[in-house]
Amino acid sequence: MTAVIEAEGLGKRYRKQWALSDCTLSVPAGHVVGLVGLNGAGKTTLLNLVTGMVAPTTGTIAVLGGRPAAGPGQLARVGYLAQDAPVYPGLSVAEHLKLGARLNPGWDDALARRRTDQLDLDPGRKAGKLSGGQRAQLGLTVALAKRPELLILDEPAASLDPLARREFLQDLMAAVAEEQVNIVLSSHLINDLERVCDYLIVLADSRVRIAGPVDELLAAHHLLSGPRRDEGRLPAGMQVISASHTDRQSTLLVRVSGPVLDPAWTVTAVGLEDLVLAYMKQAAGRGRRGNRHLEALT
Amino acid sequence: MIWLTWRQFRGQAVTAVAALALFAILLAVTHPELASLYATSGFAGCQGGSCGQPAGAFLSQLSNLTPFGGPQAFRLLPAGANLYVIVYTVGILFILIAPAITGVFWGAPLIARELETGTGRLAWNQSVTRARWLTIKLALTGAAAIAVTEGFSLLQAWWAAPISRAVDEGGSVSVFSGSRFSPLNFATGGIAPLGYAAFGFALGVTAGLLIRRVVPAMALTLAIFAGVQVVMPLWIRPHLLPTDQTTAAIAASRATLSDLGGATVLTASAVPGQPGAWIISSGAVNAAGQPVSTLPAACTPTAQSPSPGPGSGTAFQSDVQRCLAGHGIREAVSYQPASHYWPLQLTETGIFLALALGLAGFCFWWLDRRLA
Amino acid sequence: MIEFHLDSRSGVAPYLQLIHQVRQALRLGLLRKGDQLPKVKDVAAGLAINPNTVLKAYRELEYEGLAAARPGVGTFVTGTLDGGSLAAHGPLRTELLHWLAKARRAGMDDESIEALFASTFRSASEEDIA
Repeated sequence: MTAVIEAEGLGKRYRKQWALSDCTLSVPAGHVVGLVGLNGAGKTTLLNLVTGMVAPTTGTIAVLGGRPAAGPGQLARVGYLAQDAPVYPGLSVAEHLKLGARLNPGWDDALARRRTDQLDLDPGRKAGKLSGGQRAQLGLTVALAKRPELLILDEPAASLDPLARREFLQDLMAAVAEEQVNIVLSSHLINDLERVCDYLIVLADSRVRIAGPVDELLAAHHLLSGPRRDEGRLPAGMQVISASHTDRQSTLLVRVSGPVLDPAWTVTAVGLEDLVLAYMKQAAGRGRRGNRHLEALT
Repeated sequence: MIWLTWRQFRGQAVTAVAALALFAILLAVTHPELASLYATSGFAGCQGGSCGQPAGAFLSQLSNLTPFGGPQAFRLLPAGANLYVIVYTVGILFILIAPAITGVFWGAPLIARELETGTGRLAWNQSVTRARWLTIKLALTGAAAIAVTEGFSLLQAWWAAPISRAVDEGGSVSVFSGSRFSPLNFATGGIAPLGYAAFGFALGVTAGLLIRRVVPAMALTLAIFAGVQVVMPLWIRPHLLPTDQTTAAIAASRATLSDLGGATVLTASAVPGQPGAWIISSGAVNAAGQPVSTLPAACTPTAQSPSPGPGSGTAFQSDVQRCLAGHGIREAVSYQPASHYWPLQLTETGIFLALALGLAGFCFWWLDRRLA
Repeated sequence: MIEFHLDSRSGVAPYLQLIHQVRQALRLGLLRKGDQLPKVKDVAAGLAINPNTVLKAYRELEYEGLAAARPGVGTFVTGTLDGGSLAAHGPLRTELLHWLAKARRAGMDDESIEALFASTFRSASEEDIA
């Protein structure tokens, strides 16, 4: 199965600042991919590189085997719902669908109409008068009805109230179940990602910290607590992501390739949120110096 | 894409059509009396090169005309202004500002609004490349901008045809004056407005693309466009084609004396043998052809006649002229002959069209490479 | 048809929760042989979870012999859950009650009893595996 996103040493610099650096990914097909990171970590930049809205400064990126935004064919295969669901305020819902129909040869009008009916979007209503949740639904409809192979969503639920957010995710999952579309979804709301994503990419400080299928990541990371021990005294093959010590006790979040056999440790599973936070803290602590690139678990 | 361009342009199109329609109605309503005056005046039938007097008479009548039954109807108008003067001025004004308006209100927001509001992220992620999006947008909206300006220009040309002919013959009454080469007339006549419209539009689009905010882009477009429209007639247009030089007798060049910061300057207002020429520069030269910076003391007006009174103007001017001629002083004139009118129009329009295309090309490159 | 719910705070993987709920339903008689399990799309949309998660749960149930997928139609219950034969439950329950009484007489509170049971259960399971 070809990777939906294949990036090698990808980087983007704006003036003096690197928004994304040294990004190497091979994202497999058939997943709902979560891209998590703090604001300013490089999520939107990465998504802009994937959709071809910007060109890389260094490195290469291939999306569905092609160069982003290379031509109408490539553009048709990738759908994009940008942050805050941009719509034309002066155009009605129906006119937005017409926009989709005129600008996309692969437009599925039946799907678009079915969705607007189900979602109770009044076709005559001007998009500027829709609520935030409705705008997100309209944006998702336009992105889905063009029948892309890959759908990118940039913080789609960030500005929605909890009810609208839940409805949006429900709607998105129904679409995934029906259309079999690959999804890449960026968010800083880890709870949402936990429910819907089965592949995770963590971005912190403009770099990819970890990437891989969620269940493999969770299986490879453990929380160890036990009597105080220095990190240097740990067996090889165990990588410490975060550690905290009191005078008597050490608590470590580690990544290992096999089981932890040392009976001195109490081993518990790590939740996804704690895993992500640990990597983010590690990035904040170590900064750019000496941070080895972490290869993806595939 | 064509539908989307039209749908987004709809409101602006309506405004433009309304403005053109109102102008057309104004012209249509005032044209009959103008045409009948022209036909009944002696000027229409006059042929040949010496129709200056009938032309002047026609224009005077026109500017005194009170159509639609007498002065009562037009008490609103300021003294000295009549309907035809106003309509003529309005027309000139529309032709002059139309390229700026379309550049500022149609060009600047074209890309800037998509960037500022974020809707570009919707438009440029459908199955249409940014290049195609820009092509259609530039072509259709740009064509509309040019059409609007040309519309005003053609309407004015049709309505003011008799007036233009009279002015060409040398008639000069209130606003119906000025040679074809005067900045106002040159910019609103011929095909120059076409070039300005294209340039103004392309300038607006480029400003919007680079600044990414609508209002600042509009302001910058207006500022640069206005600047270019000032710089062009002052410094560039006179030299677009090589000028001709000649030296003529003071009297023949109808030179007038004036005081410029203490120095007395001799300025020509006609070139003998070159009717309708555009004088770029002139100055007094001595018999050897060298420029004369100060006139001989004996010939200055005060020396000739201590206290010039009203009505003595022509008399003592000719006295001064005879005195200067006696000293061997002549007038050197640098000018564009009348025959250069259309070549200059074409050259200037060509320059603005080339600028417009260059800016458009830059926009394609920038939109493709850079963006977000 | 049963309806699934998800406890996002429990720390248990969603697909395990789904499997658990199916097994529970089978035990309680809410699901019988031949019943259809909710469609993947409906579960995913209802709970706002990844359809793959639902598929994984259903596949696991298939592997355990409790369900079978009929392509184009849905997933149906094919097995039953025996908690061992019901006959064994009675005596085991009585023994447990005796033991609980003993533990209380020894002075253990609820938490200590649960902790003792949990750690013994865990080490016994590990011994079984090893």
